[in-house]
Amino acid sequence: MPIGGSSPLVRPGAPGRTSGEDTTRQASHRATGAGSRRAARSERLAPYVLVAPAVLIILGLRLYPLILGVNFSFTGDGDRNGTTVGFDNYLELFDDPLFRTALGNVGLLVLLLPVAVAIPGLLATFIYLRVPGHRVFRSVYFFPAVLSPVIVGSIFNLMLAFDGPLNTVLGTIGIGPVDWLGDPDVTMFTVVGVHVWATFGMALVVFLAGFSTLDSSLLDAAQMDGASLARTIWHVVIPSLSRTIAFVLVTTMIGMLTSMFGLLYVMTSGGPEGSTYLPEYYIWIQQGQMNRPALASAASTVLFLIMLVVGLAQVGLLRRAGRQD
Amino acid sequence: MKQRTLWSAVLVAGLTVAGCGSATRTAPSPAASGTSGTGKLVVWDWKSGDATAASYIEKAKADFAKKHPGVTVEFVAQPFDNYYTLLGTAIQSSTGPDVMLFNGGGQLRDRVDALLPLDEYVAEDRQRLAGWDAFSKDGKVYAAPVTLQGHPIYYNKDIYQKAGLDPAKPPATWDELMTACAAVKKAGKSCFALGNKEGFGIQFFLSGLGSGVLTPQEYDDWIAGKRDWTSPHVKQIFTLWKDVNDKGFNNAGANSTAMFNDSWAIFQSGKAANVIGLMSDIGHWKDFGEFLPPDQIGVMPAPVVTDGATPSLAYDGGIGYGVAKWTKDPKLAADLVRSLTSTDALTAFYAKAGAIASDTTIDASQSGPAAGAIVAAIKSGKPALHVALSSKTLDLMGRLSQKLLSGSVTVDKAMDQMAAADKAS
Repeated sequence: MPIGGSSPLVRPGAPGRTSGEDTTRQASHRATGAGSRRAARSERLAPYVLVAPAVLIILGLRLYPLILGVNFSFTGDGDRNGTTVGFDNYLELFDDPLFRTALGNVGLLVLLLPVAVAIPGLLATFIYLRVPGHRVFRSVYFFPAVLSPVIVGSIFNLMLAFDGPLNTVLGTIGIGPVDWLGDPDVTMFTVVGVHVWATFGMALVVFLAGFSTLDSSLLDAAQMDGASLARTIWHVVIPSLSRTIAFVLVTTMIGMLTSMFGLLYVMTSGGPEGSTYLPEYYIWIQQGQMNRPALASAASTVLFLIMLVVGLAQVGLLRRAGRQD
Repeated sequence: MKQRTLWSAVLVAGLTVAGCGSATRTAPSPAASGTSGTGKLVVWDWKSGDATAASYIEKAKADFAKKHPGVTVEFVAQPFDNYYTLLGTAIQSSTGPDVMLFNGGGQLRDRVDALLPLDEYVAEDRQRLAGWDAFSKDGKVYAAPVTLQGHPIYYNKDIYQKAGLDPAKPPATWDELMTACAAVKKAGKSCFALGNKEGFGIQFFLSGLGSGVLTPQEYDDWIAGKRDWTSPHVKQIFTLWKDVNDKGFNNAGANSTAMFNDSWAIFQSGKAANVIGLMSDIGHWKDFGEFLPPDQIGVMPAPVVTDGATPSLAYDGGIGYGVAKWTKDPKLAADLVRSLTSTDALTAFYAKAGAIASDTTIDASQSGPAAGAIVAAIKSGKPALHVALSSKTLDLMGRLSQKLLSGSVTVDKAMDQMAAADKAS
């Protein structure tokens, strides 16, 4: 970039001109010098001006509300509205068994993640290996992914009712009725199961896309060597698909942590006995039902920190998976 | 290095502002009230969209137009599921409706900071309307009642007859009730239709049966805020709650049955003999009357458990309209509230929507024996026990009630937790 006072724009004067001409040239040289300095400054500022809209949007619509929320979490509710209360809200949060249950459920979701990834992975493998009817399965498996959580929740509310169809079927084969949505030890798994049922179609499609890049000669070689299906999956399919698996892991995780609210709202309302609370639901209840916006801000801040840690771990995971080849 | 400086700057900035400001707007600035331009009032509720409430709104609007011809009134019907969340956001920013609908009790009391005391405006209506207590806090009225909401015990006369019981003489004591329940169970029906998925079942049980357990003195103390959670009678209510379920008198899976509307459906379809229902809006005499013959639906007073207890109907103001603090012309908004509780409007509401209206001058005895029995019991009625509790305490009570049914907490432990929560709020 031609920045600086040396002015290539100014032609050197022809020799033997009059001194009058010479002064004019000098004056014009001075003027062009100031102009080029202005040009230089505007060129220095240009990048800032150009990125300003993006930065202002991030500052104004992302960071400012975030800081505001964190700030509110240090103020009180009700009578203490507007006064600084230090870490009172956080102490109350971690003293609340309901919030601790919510955090525990986040941990449970993370533990259940491998199952949520294995199911679409396994089904995709079967479809890839062309089990009979694989075309039908491919579309049927994807179908629930287009339903909204509210509809899915309502369907399963009917199916899983205590006197509903599933318990009737279980009854006919001699298994006692299970209170799918009323037993605190069962309900969280029920809801996660329904969530996986409703969303695994997306992951399945990603897996199928991954399979299309799979080197079929490796599979043929394994078959020639007489490898069993389980060994083929373990030694050939999984290593070849590590990037796809990492990607599905990350997206499934995000899905589990951010989009369970609808299902919980429709299916359990956080119950029974508060066993299916998640931080999001807790925040909604405190802000909307209990009129505790400051406490809700504190819970949001905690959730934000958790998501930050999870997010960074995911970025690390994706980066590592990307490095492998 | 530069990045580290930037981060520490952000951190320092964050820490210096931490704890300033407030999560709820403190003083509403008049300029911020975006809706109340002269000559326009905005009303928020979840009723005005219902077809059954159309003539009520119509009548109220006409009444208001007579007094203030130049003022337009806009009704905004919000979805009830999100109503208090939306209202919370409006209150925080001090913008939003001038007049808003509330459920009586905790939902209103938690938000009186945003409401205008109406005492001076509604003085004339105090005698005509019933149910003011649920809309008052610290001696000030914040909303005018539209309907009365309470918890009568409905019973299915047909099932009583089939179980060999006298439908004209419902159980008057707890022992009689338990004998009746055993007979009903033997006849293959549930004695009570109970939906406790949301934790509401215990609220209805407490208020529906409480007057038969607590002595009048204890009852009045409870309402006045002097609640003794260690008293044997209070404890007994929760013991009975557990007993009824342990004896198998409730429908199976009560903790996963939604009160709205699965438990009503159980009663309506003739699968259960009793249900503690509502008086207005939903799950009441008119709703049940669409499925069961109206003359087969009876209402019984709470069975007597304790000697000296006098059973009374538990009821409060059900829903009522209040005025926002930030409204520009409080007198105008209060006049709209008065129109919304005028006798004409309320008569239309009672007739169309199936609600026991707050206006005591309306004659409701023509709507079948159940409605007649409820209206007759209003005079001697008392505020419902659960309405006196804060929403936080109610939330905890809902969860504890589920634990009591599943047996994962003892009544004593539950009472300890309730006492602590009630004291804190």
